[in-house]
Amino acid sequence: MDWDWNFVWEIMPTLIQGVKITILATILGSILAAIVGLGIALARRSENRLVARSIGWFAEFIRGTPLLVQLYFIFYVLPDIGILLPPLVAGVIGLGLHYGTYTAEVYRAGIDNVPRGQWEAAKACNLNGRHTWTHIILPQAIPPMIPALANYFIAMFKETPLLSAITVLELMNQAKSVANTYYRYIEPMTLVGAFFLVISLCSVVLLRWLEHRYGRIER
Amino acid sequence: MKKLGILAGVAGLAVSTMLLASGARSADDAKLEQLKQQGFARVAIANEPPYTAVAADGKVSGAAPDVAREIFKRLGVNDIVASISEYGAMIPGLQAGRFDVVTAGLFMKPERCAAVAYSEPVLCDAEAMLVKKGNPKGFKSYEDIAKESSATVGAPGGGTEEKLALNAGVPRDRVIVVPDGQSGLKMVQDGRIDAYSLPVLSINDLMKKANDPNLEVIAPVQGAPVYCDGAAFKKGDEALRDAYDVELAKMKKSGEFAKIIEPYGFSAKAAMSTTREKLCAAK
Repeated sequence: MDWDWNFVWEIMPTLIQGVKITILATILGSILAAIVGLGIALARRSENRLVARSIGWFAEFIRGTPLLVQLYFIFYVLPDIGILLPPLVAGVIGLGLHYGTYTAEVYRAGIDNVPRGQWEAAKACNLNGRHTWTHIILPQAIPPMIPALANYFIAMFKETPLLSAITVLELMNQAKSVANTYYRYIEPMTLVGAFFLVISLCSVVLLRWLEHRYGRIER
Repeated sequence: MKKLGILAGVAGLAVSTMLLASGARSADDAKLEQLKQQGFARVAIANEPPYTAVAADGKVSGAAPDVAREIFKRLGVNDIVASISEYGAMIPGLQAGRFDVVTAGLFMKPERCAAVAYSEPVLCDAEAMLVKKGNPKGFKSYEDIAKESSATVGAPGGGTEEKLALNAGVPRDRVIVVPDGQSGLKMVQDGRIDAYSLPVLSINDLMKKANDPNLEVIAPVQGAPVYCDGAAFKKGDEALRDAYDVELAKMKKSGEFAKIIEPYGFSAKAAMSTTREKLCAAK
């Protein structure tokens, strides 16, 4: 158990490469999750029972299976039917789909929170479905759910080490390969923890601000 | 009275010196005694046939664990209990006391010799590459992969092949760390990597199981040396290692060693024609 600062500085550039990929995967995954979640939430409210049911079942299925299994499936099984995705793309799709099913619940709660009177008013003003959603419902529904969404994105950030299982060279994988080369775990793994902690703490500050800014529902 | 005190002091010193000496001796043997008492030794393996293999029923075989099992039996330790580990995690795991010995085809190289106490050589093999049929990119060596600017090579993380590829000048982002043999095979089949590198016998074993006519083995890889592994013990367990070496030498002499490893395709002669000293000094 001896900590070697020289070794820390030596491996730092390698780990920073990994941090970049981790952040990239989180950002792309969050964008995808935000879009997928909205899509699922809207589809579940569809008039068409078949669409609502099948999307609902799909979301339950994704939420009920581990992310790691989904990643293996996307990376190793899909090529058998001709879908060959680069590791990072496969990882982002895995994260985006998985967390999309969670954010869908956030969207659902947000939408349900818009008072019924708003729907009726929209109808009374003779707005069509699209306009009702884009001008009346979503602008009122989305701000209060921003803090909850951001919470899921921080959770997703902490799940990115799973991508190392499908050969994405993110922070965890870089740290493992450093450990493999120098037979030392203490510095690389401590640094991985430190990186995650620092970024998470910064995100928490941002989250507080978001809560302050959007958390109140103004009516 | 004073004299007596001095006498007692001297005697005490002598006794304590003797105790110290015998204490050091018994500390050396303590590891073996402890293994004997618990009845098994914990070994690290990689599940990479024919070096190490775990059958569907959980039975551990492969050339390296078979040799270790026999030697431990002769040392009075009845059985071995194996845990599967990545190559890169073996030495740190050994140092952390998770295993008593690594018997996994962990090839001897100077930097590993500095980190662990190796036994005399056990299994020797050259390096090979698995590629698509016809070797479309014409690889013969790791340097060929380095030259081809879009080529990628898969190798076990922390394995010899990963380091050989990196040393040959293949950039880090084109050396893909592959978790296990089956994944590597699949990645070559899917075209995710252009070549997958493992020792010759491991690649042959994978090929035999996959039975895929669209793949081809290049062996041996040009410029890559023949390596030998040994059982790797924790630094400080040299006494156990020396006891292990004695039994290994006996088995090599009697021909029992060849009887265990040759059915797996390894050459006993190759292991007997070299020594730990030579392999650890080699560049």
